[in-house]
Amino acid sequence: MLRYLKLYWYFVIQRFKILMEYRLNFFIGSISTVLFQGASLVALWAVLRQVPSIQGWTFEQILLIYGLLTLSKGINHLFADNLWVVGRDYIRPGQFDRFLVRPINPLFHLLADRICHDAIGDFIVGLSLVSYAMVQLQLPINLASIGFIILMVISGGIIFIALNLITAATSFWIMDSIAVTNVVFHTNEFAQYPLTFYHRSIGVLLTWLVPYGFASYYPASYLLGHEIGWMAWLAPLVALVCIMIAYKVWLLGLRNYGSTGS
Amino acid sequence: MVPIIDVRNLGKTYRTIEKENGVKGAVKALFRPQYREKVAVHDLSFQIDAGEIVGYIGVNGAGKSTTIKMLTGILYPTTGSIAVLGHDPQRERVANARNIGVVFGQRSQLWWDLALIESLNLVANIYEVEPSRYKQLLSHFAEVLELDEILKTPIRSMSLGQKMRAELAATFIHEPKVVYLDEPTIGLDVMVKQRIREFIKDYNQTHNTTVMLTTHDLGDIEQLCSRVIIIDNGSKVYDGPLNAIKQQFGKFRTITFETNQPMTSVNLPPACEQLNLSEFSLEVRFDRSQISASQVANAVMQQLDVADFTLNEPDLESIIKHLYQNPTAYNEVGARG
Repeated sequence: MLRYLKLYWYFVIQRFKILMEYRLNFFIGSISTVLFQGASLVALWAVLRQVPSIQGWTFEQILLIYGLLTLSKGINHLFADNLWVVGRDYIRPGQFDRFLVRPINPLFHLLADRICHDAIGDFIVGLSLVSYAMVQLQLPINLASIGFIILMVISGGIIFIALNLITAATSFWIMDSIAVTNVVFHTNEFAQYPLTFYHRSIGVLLTWLVPYGFASYYPASYLLGHEIGWMAWLAPLVALVCIMIAYKVWLLGLRNYGSTGS
Repeated sequence: MVPIIDVRNLGKTYRTIEKENGVKGAVKALFRPQYREKVAVHDLSFQIDAGEIVGYIGVNGAGKSTTIKMLTGILYPTTGSIAVLGHDPQRERVANARNIGVVFGQRSQLWWDLALIESLNLVANIYEVEPSRYKQLLSHFAEVLELDEILKTPIRSMSLGQKMRAELAATFIHEPKVVYLDEPTIGLDVMVKQRIREFIKDYNQTHNTTVMLTTHDLGDIEQLCSRVIIIDNGSKVYDGPLNAIKQQFGKFRTITFETNQPMTSVNLPPACEQLNLSEFSLEVRFDRSQISASQVANAVMQQLDVADFTLNEPDLESIIKHLYQNPTAYNEVGARG
């Protein structure tokens, strides 16, 4: 474990050196994430300012949900962005082979190969939103609430990573999984709002099938003292189950890996 | 002695989806896929001992790369078993990976954007090479592979020859006991080729490293390998000393005749075989244990107005070519196994 941590740190440093070679890229990447998030927020604000609240949810409360989701997404973005492109950038050009002949876990190697600094933008936006919403809503900011948020963001991040890992593993069969990942990943947009906004089936879907709800709606409900908030405590368990299933699927994919011609 | 590489009844069958042409075919393949099985490697067995350099050769698509990929743990075999220093390369991937080094001539294992020295540092970290040992090896490799000038160069701006030298350094930096080289000299100029062969030979002699080498360059084979395994259509067709092939086929010579007038058909004496016939030239192969060159030349010159002729010594290339073209010829050299 310690070995992997040290190695990971070493990969981070190397990645940083590469980024410094492409300095412009570095800044564009970080700024574009902030701009991208900003644009979604403006759209959200434009809709919500028309009405004081929707089904009893105020603008600030929705911002809290949105902010929590953004932080979880940031975890996925930072640590597991390579899952998006494993088919296109590694399997198809034959680059994946090298991960399989080295004395470290191939998945670790894949993830460590590219830490995605663009996630800084997610963290800036997510943290600002959560802090702003907490202050506006006069929610207590103390060790307990901060600890709770950290636990939820990590759980949510793992849920994001797990779902992307499952869809990424389809690359072993279909070569390029970006389309599959896109379809599953973007269901997270439902979780930007309270799940009660939608038809019941969507709520069930976002809770039990693609459980992004645990990254946003449930923890926010808990912080706001809503009845459904207790569900948030399931998040770590859901994350654990998801990542275990996802890793099994990944291993199954590895068995099926066909490599590409010489 | 326990073999270093022990391959038994190894087989690999690929299952691919058969697609008909056009959009309709693609849709059909999506919902009712028709699978087609392709046997890439069939019932392959061989053992390789410590310190051997084995040339693993065959035409394109014969199953060379598939075999290497199974030996290195990249692909799962369909049937059979592999043990490399006692490890199953798939189930004991990490343990196996510590012992082996792999070069795929056509693709780099280094980081495109990193300077070579950074890449090497990273590789050394992954393999947990002891720092003082790493320093020693690095300065040794820098000398024999002439790396000094490229240590600070990122892989992306290297020439093909520089890249291969960099690959070799990265492959040997953890002092592997077994090395697989898949086309290590492909596309390189004579000078670089020579340096790489010398490096491999030297490393093999000083470390008693076991080397398995696939190549289309018979110079690699002649200079490095004492043993050759030939694979054809996924099956082993020859496994034995390089010398046996050479001796057996060394008894063949060819004579090329050139004429001024267009060629007519020729009756050849026994123990001769017509190889190539074009308008003004004829190539004949004969078994010199049965007939002499002058007898062949006489027989031909009685029938044709020969302007010139040359007697050719067989080289390994033509021997292997002959083997590829005449599968039955393998029996003549008494393939082992």
